[in-house]
Amino acid sequence: MTDIRGKTAIVGVGQTPYFKRGTSEHPALKLCLEAIVEASEDAGLDPKDIDGFVSYASENSDAQKLMAGLGTREVRFASLTWIHGGGIPGALSIAAAAIMTGQAEVVAVYRSMAESFGQRLRVDVAQNDTAAQYLVNGIESPTQILALRAQRLMQHHGVPRSALRAVSQASYYHARNNARAVGRQIELDDETYDNSRMIADPYRLFDCSRENDGACAVLVVSAERAKHLRQKPAYILAAPMGTPGGGGALEENWRPYYATAGQVELANRMWASSGYGPKDVDVAQIYMNNNSMGIGAMIDHGFCTFENAGEFLTLENLTAPSGKLPINTSGGDLAEGFIHGMGLLAEATRQIRGDSTNQVPGAKLSLMTGGPGDTMSSTGLLGAEETL
Amino acid sequence: MEYSFEAHKIIGGIGADDEYWRSLENNEFRLPQCAKCGKWTWPAHFRCGDCGSWDFNWVKLEPEGNIFSWTRSWYAFDRVRERTEDIPYITVLTEIPEADNARILGVLKGDDTGIQIGLPVRGSIEPPSEKTKFYPSITWEIIR
Ligand SMILES: [Zn+2]
Repeated sequence: MTDIRGKTAIVGVGQTPYFKRGTSEHPALKLCLEAIVEASEDAGLDPKDIDGFVSYASENSDAQKLMAGLGTREVRFASLTWIHGGGIPGALSIAAAAIMTGQAEVVAVYRSMAESFGQRLRVDVAQNDTAAQYLVNGIESPTQILALRAQRLMQHHGVPRSALRAVSQASYYHARNNARAVGRQIELDDETYDNSRMIADPYRLFDCSRENDGACAVLVVSAERAKHLRQKPAYILAAPMGTPGGGGALEENWRPYYATAGQVELANRMWASSGYGPKDVDVAQIYMNNNSMGIGAMIDHGFCTFENAGEFLTLENLTAPSGKLPINTSGGDLAEGFIHGMGLLAEATRQIRGDSTNQVPGAKLSLMTGGPGDTMSSTGLLGAEETL
Repeated sequence: MEYSFEAHKIIGGIGADDEYWRSLENNEFRLPQCAKCGKWTWPAHFRCGDCGSWDFNWVKLEPEGNIFSWTRSWYAFDRVRERTEDIPYITVLTEIPEADNARILGVLKGDDTGIQIGLPVRGSIEPPSEKTKFYPSITWEIIR
């Protein structure tokens, strides 16, 4: 049996400007074309060469609609990954599998959203699959649902408020250097954070992700082909997907563990198949529907524990260039903007190339975690050539 | 009997919990237990993954348990606008010890002073209303 480790690489990145939700002049399909064409130019490939299409969640810009605009010669592979933002690194696994089995040569992995032409993002994200148990009891938004987990993380497991604040501040700190970041003008000092309005206890406004219009795409090809293209390849080392037994669509009845991200088993598989561990990671893009869930992801991945989270999660430790674990170096879902988390994959790739606006010098191992607390999730590790 | 929730059916989740809502509309709190191996399965499912049985007994229980978690909503979220006038309102996730700690959501009523994880709560069954999207519901109250 062969592993996907190092067999494929991300060679192109495309990312449209991020618009405040509902303000894009263009529908998602056009934004999606822009991102994919930009990723092709970035890689030095013709958009016509793309023969594989992989997305996740409720993506509506499917290959069937894109192909006439891309000049696609033939769609040879197309797939959607379950289920929400949990699916992003897993989409890389699907792309890698398609390439390794000869089903496709150039695979676009992408997400596009434009609220002005669709429904409210968080409703779209829920995919009309919110159980009556929630809606009958005044709960509809992921933020409210995740607030239940955050209470456990903070009150039962003792993770302090300072950790949530530091994670948000690191995101906004990095956003200031990123011209694309929607939140780049906000200086998130302690007072601004502490005085921000309550959304759902314990979440304040700055604990929550944004909702934006925009699109983001990356191109995946074989490692062999990657060597001959324009950019420094970001090799896919591991990108497992899944859900632990005792988890799943259980309406807050997750049993093996509840307050974190549901990613312990995923992370363990990723470390095992990549041959690396948390201590080796240079930089991490942590999906944050809400910041406490990102903290849960970091705990599940072994970067810290319930007990030392308060000590480890500080602004100093979480910021580039020299923090112990710089996270969300583009500003991430909280401060760059939120195209269902896809921007994190673009940034994880830039860190390997060395062209992030908050570059971690010499970054060779770049992590991206998928939607935490999602009923199915995934996590992915990218590496420079030296890590193979 | 015509059930209100059936006429206002919400599609989402696993979709095996009709009997839960039917019981509540009949003013009873019932949860499903595998007829063969006795495992409590919540949310309800169509098959017991442990023993393979397709049969469940819906056991009548007292709506009593402990707060597993809770949140206070401060914003009129899109699909629950019916509760705008109640903001901020608290939703509680209650563990039911009698059913292997199955966790059941419900809005908190009464005095919320000192609310915290672990406090004992008692539920009341409420008839369908606009606020509950014409489903029956349980509201929890802290036992003082
Ligand atoms: Zn059974």
